[in-house]
Amino acid sequence: MLKTVFLSLLVLAIAIGGGAASVWYALQAREGIGAVAVGPWTTFPDLGTPQADPYSKARIAREGVLSLGLTEGLTFIAQKDSDGGVLRRDCNYTIDGTFPPARFWTLYAAEPSRAVIQGGHLRPPALHSSEVLRRADNAVSIAVGRDPTQGNWLPVAGAGPMSFVLTLYDSPAASSSGIADVALPRIAKAACND
Amino acid sequence: MIRRLAYAILVGLVGAGIVHIAILLMLPSFSERDAWSKLAASAEPYAVTRLAPAEGQPSVLRSPDPFFNAIACRFDLGEGIAHLTAEGSVPFWSASVYDRNGQNIYSFNDRTSANGSLDFVIATPLQMTEMRKNLPAEFEASVFVEADIGEGIVVIRSFVPDASWKPVISGYLDSVTCRIG
Repeated sequence: MLKTVFLSLLVLAIAIGGGAASVWYALQAREGIGAVAVGPWTTFPDLGTPQADPYSKARIAREGVLSLGLTEGLTFIAQKDSDGGVLRRDCNYTIDGTFPPARFWTLYAAEPSRAVIQGGHLRPPALHSSEVLRRADNAVSIAVGRDPTQGNWLPVAGAGPMSFVLTLYDSPAASSSGIADVALPRIAKAACND
Repeated sequence: MIRRLAYAILVGLVGAGIVHIAILLMLPSFSERDAWSKLAASAEPYAVTRLAPAEGQPSVLRSPDPFFNAIACRFDLGEGIAHLTAEGSVPFWSASVYDRNGQNIYSFNDRTSANGSLDFVIATPLQMTEMRKNLPAEFEASVFVEADIGEGIVVIRSFVPDASWKPVISGYLDSVTCRIG
């Protein structure tokens, strides 16, 4: 009798505990189903729409996010540089290349929680396309780091991992089917301050 | 004994799978941290609420892009169509309609309207059919958004190119009205 009670309790404990823990773990994980990768950049075109997978839907409900619609903008996030190294706030990076066609784009560095990293300077901690300097071939080179540099500079500060968030507003890349075909800039690591 | 224990663990794991799926599918309907609940805690329906852009103001919902300011308004199409307008013009605005669960149903931007002005009506397919029969004069220039939902949230985002634009964008977002049409 006692054995049956014990076994029933064990079944319930594994079912409820294991089920709840596995959902929690799956929702903590950042990378998910439905991601489109372009070099180091990834985007979730279906995120926050009725077409999204159940995990994205649950994550949206749990975090209270109101995601950007596709006609508003398309957000790319890079957590690694083009060579596969994790982006760190105490390193210098160069983001170099052409950006896809869009009304405009914005770029900022974010903490793992998606909060904007304040550079600790008076400059805004983000860049947008109409204020950057371009080369003759329309390519843009942006220096990311703690210390001011000439040309385009995105200030970051602190230590720990970070990600770059690039949002293309009103971009034809979002409405066409080939999001994977767009060309995004390379992220190269320059040096690290130790 | 060992066989019964192994059997119990196996049943437990199958149960865990069922619980996993059940929690996952029920979470959107029962979440108390979703966008709707957060907005409901701070503003009445049809009240235009600022989604705090950055530091300083308490943030209802984060508008992550530092170059953007945004407002939100909860509506209920069961009570009638929702009509949104704003005065003035800004470099860029975009709008999204979300359902009760925070899913993006429809989005558009300032290129959608003829002269870039913000004036749109959200209605269910049935209300739309009714309205087409006899279009009120006040909606002649409006953009119509058909959304087959009851309660919902509409968010308007506006681009702030630099600090000098902040008063203009703030004034624009303050001028947004959200009401039962």
